[in-house]
Amino acid sequence: MKVVTGVVGNDIHVVANRLIDISLEERGFEVFNLGVNTYLEEFMDAVIETDADVLLISSLNGEAEGWCRDLKILKSQYDFRDVVFMIGGNLGVGEMDPELIVPKFRNYGFDLVFHQVDLNEGLDRLEATLEARK
Amino acid sequence: MNSKLMIDIGSTYFKVAREGEIEQYFRDFNRNIFDDLSGKCADLLKACRPEDIHICSSANGGLSTLIIGLTNSFSLKYAINIAFNSGINIIDTVLYPKIEQEPVPTEMIDVVIVVGGIDSVENVFDEKLPAYLEKVNYQNIVYVGTKKSVPFLQEHIENLVVLENVISDKLKIREEALKTYLTDLYQADIMGKEDIKQLYGITVNQIFSTPYIVNRSLSRISEHMDVADPFIVVDIGGATTDIHYSRDLVNDNILTDSGYDRLVFKKLGVFKSRESLVHTAKNNEFVFELLEHLNVTENILEEYSEKATRTLMQLAIFLVLYKVSKHHASYIELNLEILNSIVLTGGITKVLTQEEVDDIVLFFYRKILHFHHAPKILLDHNYEIWTYGIKE
Ligand code: B12
Repeated sequence: MKVVTGVVGNDIHVVANRLIDISLEERGFEVFNLGVNTYLEEFMDAVIETDADVLLISSLNGEAEGWCRDLKILKSQYDFRDVVFMIGGNLGVGEMDPELIVPKFRNYGFDLVFHQVDLNEGLDRLEATLEARK
Repeated sequence: MNSKLMIDIGSTYFKVAREGEIEQYFRDFNRNIFDDLSGKCADLLKACRPEDIHICSSANGGLSTLIIGLTNSFSLKYAINIAFNSGINIIDTVLYPKIEQEPVPTEMIDVVIVVGGIDSVENVFDEKLPAYLEKVNYQNIVYVGTKKSVPFLQEHIENLVVLENVISDKLKIREEALKTYLTDLYQADIMGKEDIKQLYGITVNQIFSTPYIVNRSLSRISEHMDVADPFIVVDIGGATTDIHYSRDLVNDNILTDSGYDRLVFKKLGVFKSRESLVHTAKNNEFVFELLEHLNVTENILEEYSEKATRTLMQLAIFLVLYKVSKHHASYIELNLEILNSIVLTGGITKVLTQEEVDDIVLFFYRKILHFHHAPKILLDHNYEIWTYGIKE
């Protein structure tokens, strides 16, 4: 299974990105890591060029909303078939109600949303989702 | 005499360099290039062996290309990057998923480049590609995308040249095969042009395009000039403006071996492309302030005087910096904040003074980037940068 990953927008927090890369490799995924400071269009293009099964975006600095709002529009411009769209990290800024975050990002077009959720838990859920789709 | 003789054939003049001495001659358009050159440099040519003569040329206009790619961020970006670095000036692009809506170029295309997908990806291209190509008037076609599509494309496209994928299995750029193909094609193009072809009578070495040679020279510039990395080289010509830049200035997914890339602005030049330069200038929100700063009025743009040429050259420097800055969304954005040196080459170095170029660059840095200082500017007075690229 192929996974495209990276950190969205003008976000330079790189530590989680390295961990995600290593953890995915360990779980047997083929990883295409676009690193920090990656725009949504680049993520989508990478999924197309690699025919990836999963897009795993992380966002740590609180700007995810602004950078990911257009996911639906981009999804409508190409036939992404059954790609799993997933996002995690610190998805809100300070005062935002955490209860609202997950539905908001699901509404943007993400299948799996993890706000301040441990990485391994998120990856377990991803594997369960992929298993269920078989 | 065994030292190298280097010759650069341009569209307005040619330059001859030997042992650090550079002579410049205006071209006589009543004679073909070969006769002109052998007339003006007869003694030199006689004194040198064909293996010591190295020629580069920008006189034949170069190849026109059409690149059809799967996405903007990878296929198209990588292929454009390789094409520019191979010395190609004219590039049109088609985004494959939208190919049915894309206009078909009317002029003859020298080479079509098709690219998309890493090697493990299947079903990237289908009937839409041959259907589109049917309508395009082209001479060569090369495929540098996923291996899995090769059988389909070979079956449907005649004379298709297949090379190694420019996108590696890790989604990184792989430039060698396509670059070699394009520089060889350039040579073949020269062979097809009567007046340049004869130049192969005096040299046994491959004739390269000048921008390709300039690009190759960048890693050696610091041996000859006081430049500090990261730097850019700006070559403002009559028809186009070239900018060569250190890769440290870009923040993207391309990783090349050379460390230096090239970008061309087709319509920014002070003679042949003067009209479009003026048009671009008039549409730039900062230009009127700039003209005021230079103590001239807008009318200067319509004049034909030495002063007008100087002003146009200053405008060109400003516009090039503007076009690669973050204020202008384009194919590439350079991080000009960390730039250490700017090297100016081309005819401009004979016209503008150090003070004039310093002034304009400082204006840009103050006005656009809100900086108090600007990078160091070096003028390639002898116009000799290209010679570093020829030296082995
Ligand atoms: C180190 C750090 C920095 C360093 C980054 C160095 C670098 N190159 O990586 C520096 C100093 C540069 C920095 C800058 C900034 N930072 Co900072 N930074 C941190 C800090 C202290 C640690 C981050 C870290 O590396 N943690 C270790 C990794 C392993 O953990 P993690 O990033 O949280 O990732 C885990 C999970 O989030 C999760 N995860 C991540 N992605 C995904 C994806 C999926 C799908 C899943 C399931 C899980 C998942 O898995 C990881 C492992 O469990 C955090 C605070 C904190 N303690 O978390 C703030 C923090 C992330 N930074 C913050 C901010 C605001 C900034 C700045 C905007 C500050 C500023 N005003 O200048 C800038 C932003 C710069 C930019 N353009 O991005 C805020 C973000 C606030 C928010 N989102 O609500 C934080 C949370 C601090 C805070 N409490 O305010 N920062």
